[in-house]
Amino acid sequence: MENSSDDYRIQSFDLDTQVLLKTALKDPNSVNLEKVCSIIVDQSLKDQVFSKEAGRICYTIVQAEAKQNNGNVFRRNLLNRLQQEFKGREETRARSIQEWVCYVTFICNIFDYLKVNNMPMVALVHPVYDCLMRLANPDALMNEEEVDCLVLQLHRIGEQLEKVNSQRMDELFFLLRDGFLLQEGLTSMARLLLLEILEFRAGGWMLSSTAHKYYYSEIAD
Amino acid sequence: MSDWKRDRRRGAHSEERESRSVGLSRWSHCRKRGVDGNLRSSSKVDGREKDNDRHIEGSHRYPDGRHSSFTTPESTGPVTRCSQQADWGSQVEDDEMRRDVHRDMQRYRRRILGAEVTERERKTSSGSSESNDSKEGDNIETDEAVLLRRQKQINYGKNTLAYDRYIKEVPKHMRQAGIHPKTPNKFRKYSRRSWDQQIKLWKVKLHAWDPPSENGLNEVLDNIEEPDLGDVMDIELDFPSLADSQNASVSLRTHLLSVEDDDCLGTPVKVQRTESTVEADMA
Repeated sequence: MENSSDDYRIQSFDLDTQVLLKTALKDPNSVNLEKVCSIIVDQSLKDQVFSKEAGRICYTIVQAEAKQNNGNVFRRNLLNRLQQEFKGREETRARSIQEWVCYVTFICNIFDYLKVNNMPMVALVHPVYDCLMRLANPDALMNEEEVDCLVLQLHRIGEQLEKVNSQRMDELFFLLRDGFLLQEGLTSMARLLLLEILEFRAGGWMLSSTAHKYYYSEIAD
Repeated sequence: MSDWKRDRRRGAHSEERESRSVGLSRWSHCRKRGVDGNLRSSSKVDGREKDNDRHIEGSHRYPDGRHSSFTTPESTGPVTRCSQQADWGSQVEDDEMRRDVHRDMQRYRRRILGAEVTERERKTSSGSSESNDSKEGDNIETDEAVLLRRQKQINYGKNTLAYDRYIKEVPKHMRQAGIHPKTPNKFRKYSRRSWDQQIKLWKVKLHAWDPPSENGLNEVLDNIEEPDLGDVMDIELDFPSLADSQNASVSLRTHLLSVEDDDCLGTPVKVQRTESTVEADMA
């Protein structure tokens, strides 16, 4: 029943920190949750692998804290830290595309995992859209890293996002179509990724089997 | 005695002001969370003092040293100076509370309507001719703003060490009406004053389960001269006006202490008497 620590991808931390995190998962009140939150967020901004799955460990800590004493110190700290980083996202992007991409991956992962009564957290909807729109801007489309991040997030949470706000999804896809058609200097990989995501959404957030064959079976022939 | 009265007159808000400026007020050891919303552990008192100072220093301050956020009775965590809550943590908490309140309402409705159906069936089968109109279903408070406000007040009362100790000590099935505090029902229609009064009395009753303090609180209260309340308690107290109720809660509180001093258990008989006068009034 218990998730092995592997599921949380905490191997990249030093041993002391791993112990701290494991304790936080089992007995949240016995640790300094603000510190734990800081550690997780800082790592998510550096480590692409971790940022893709950090939502899961956050989810477990939030649940554990709520169950233990109805607290939400961890969640509050996490959200406010996310908000802080969100405010400074343009500077982050200017400083390091990789860090920016990690941030977007992380916030989308949190959006995916941390629900309130099975509904996405309202406070995150617009910020997530803002991040994706930024990735769909002409200057960002020139970087394969950013395009890759964009389509990955849309695969994971696109359907949910559309459900909570379809208008913004429409706006996002206007930008993507424009980018695909008009943007000069896009790499062929970038164009491929964009075409795939356009088809993906048009197919109701899934690819037909033929489309899937086109995009994903390189090995077949 | 005079120190005591001065504090009570300042009212409940003084608690917030005190913990804002210093970090520890007389009652802060009863509060489950500090000004920054972090959980306090009940075991450490002195250690906690330092921790709280650190929390306060750590939280954002304006250049002139003013705090940028406080935990007020109406919030579940620190809120900014303006009522607009821009931080995501608070937004999510508010949204969660709204959803919880709506979900509670669905459950309550089902429970009430279910009970009414059985009640009606029982009446018709027994041939009763009572036109006893206790149709709770028609009398549910549905205004979201009201429900949210009430829920916040309830949360504030539940966010205390006293409440934690109370629910651990007295399971629901062991609770006796009048003796044990009961959370006011937010779905019943009450006037604003009536509701606020119920909350106030409920919280006063909960104080009986406050953890013992190490900072001389009990000494201070012991030093208050206790009048002989025996005869006074025989007089029916008239609760409605708030001015009176404050005095009443003073006598209630000192009475609770004298009960403790006499080695009697908890809050039984004397609280029960005041409670019954209140209920007669509220009915």
